Amino acid sequence: MTARSIVRVALVIFVVLMVQQTMMVALRIGGVHPDLLWLLPITAALADGPETGGIVGFWSGLVFDLVLPTPFGLSALVGCLLGYAVGALTAAVDPRTTWLKPVAALTGSVAADMLFAVLGAILGQPQMVQIDFVALFLMVSISSVVFVLPVSRLMRWALAGENNRHSLVPAETGSRIW
Amino acid sequence: MARSRRSRRTLTVIVLVVVSLSLISLDLNGRTHSLTSGIKSVANDIYSPLRQGVEDIINPIGNFFAGAFNYGAVQSENEQLQRQIGQLRATQAEKGFEQNQLRELTQLESLPFLNSLPTVTAQTQDQYSSNFTATITLDKGRADGVDVGYPVVGAGGLVGQVIQSFHHTSVVRLITDGQFKVGVVFGPGNKYAAIVDGQGPGSDLTADLVSPGTPLRRGQTMYTSGLQAAAFPPGIPVATVSSFHTPSGASQISITVEPSANLNQLAYVDVVQWVPNA
Repeated sequence: MTARSIVRVALVIFVVLMVQQTMMVALRIGGVHPDLLWLLPITAALADGPETGGIVGFWSGLVFDLVLPTPFGLSALVGCLLGYAVGALTAAVDPRTTWLKPVAALTGSVAADMLFAVLGAILGQPQMVQIDFVALFLMVSISSVVFVLPVSRLMRWALAGENNRHSLVPAETGSRIW
Repeated sequence: MARSRRSRRTLTVIVLVVVSLSLISLDLNGRTHSLTSGIKSVANDIYSPLRQGVEDIINPIGNFFAGAFNYGAVQSENEQLQRQIGQLRATQAEKGFEQNQLRELTQLESLPFLNSLPTVTAQTQDQYSSNFTATITLDKGRADGVDVGYPVVGAGGLVGQVIQSFHHTSVVRLITDGQFKVGVVFGPGNKYAAIVDGQGPGSDLTADLVSPGTPLRRGQTMYTSGLQAAAFPPGIPVATVSSFHTPSGASQISITVEPSANLNQLAYVDVVQWVPNA
């Protein structure tokens, strides 16, 4: 894990947080707005595998948790699980496949929102399942497919260390090359 | 080698999941909530000016393009607003006398209303930051006298309640949020009581616990009840009845209500510095 990668990932998380909280929240249609948070673990997992996906998901979720009114730690939990799951499920797929990013972004974001709402309700926030899920899924699906490429580019830049293709996880023989 | 790598991956994720769950339990536990609240407070004090700075850069650019693309609509809207301002000035002048009378009557009757309660006027910084909650963020916090539990009112009536208070910002749960509940009274002499429930962002509210046969009419206003230990002072307009019916065999009327406050116009709100009586 290089210090440079950590700083770059932190910078990407900050940029995405700012874009989300200033521009995306203003794009409300049908009472819902795009949610870029889930794209961070998804793109990290696609770029460097499940462990990096889980780590980026945890930290990005934790940063978003600091400014969201939902339970503290919930985004971190869902982000971590999402990153790991996307990395594990796409491990056998050629990362150069064109459909991989949009499909992973769409399914991952929708699954993460569903998990987030259900866990929130279980943890004593029943209002989190009292929303228009059709509108939410439509908005999140479309926005995730649209924004996955720029976020993916940022994440690839962040995870490309000085020795190129370094990640948050120590390199070792047989580690995934992206 | 591959197995050890998989084990390490799994272990890392398990550790992070355990940390996340610990943070959630700290946040939800009443005794340790102040810890996570304190962390959030510090983070918000750092984050708010940064966010404001980014908005100050982005907004003029956005407004420029919006203005350029919608010049005709903006001009027409401007003319319409000018007309409305003129009409409102005329109406205000006519109503000045009546308002003075009403104020005097209110004082005479010692009606518990906001006139007698201290308020803090706050500007809305952020609306609906999450898709899962109906909340707004205000630019006033503990340092400005805004604390958790304080009611928030806007044009027309009750807007919500402060649920998080940081040093210079606070978060308000709107009355449309699914977790919002408020005791109300309505009808002749305000002798009928109900509970108004938020049903989530974008959905109408409901009024529950009204037994069949209770006189109701569309447009009827419901006010905060202010019963002992109520979370809100009495007499704040909460919602107006938009529809109602009694399903056969039901033990209560099914009532749909609309917020009295205009929740689309929340640029400025008043936080009422009111603490429930023990």
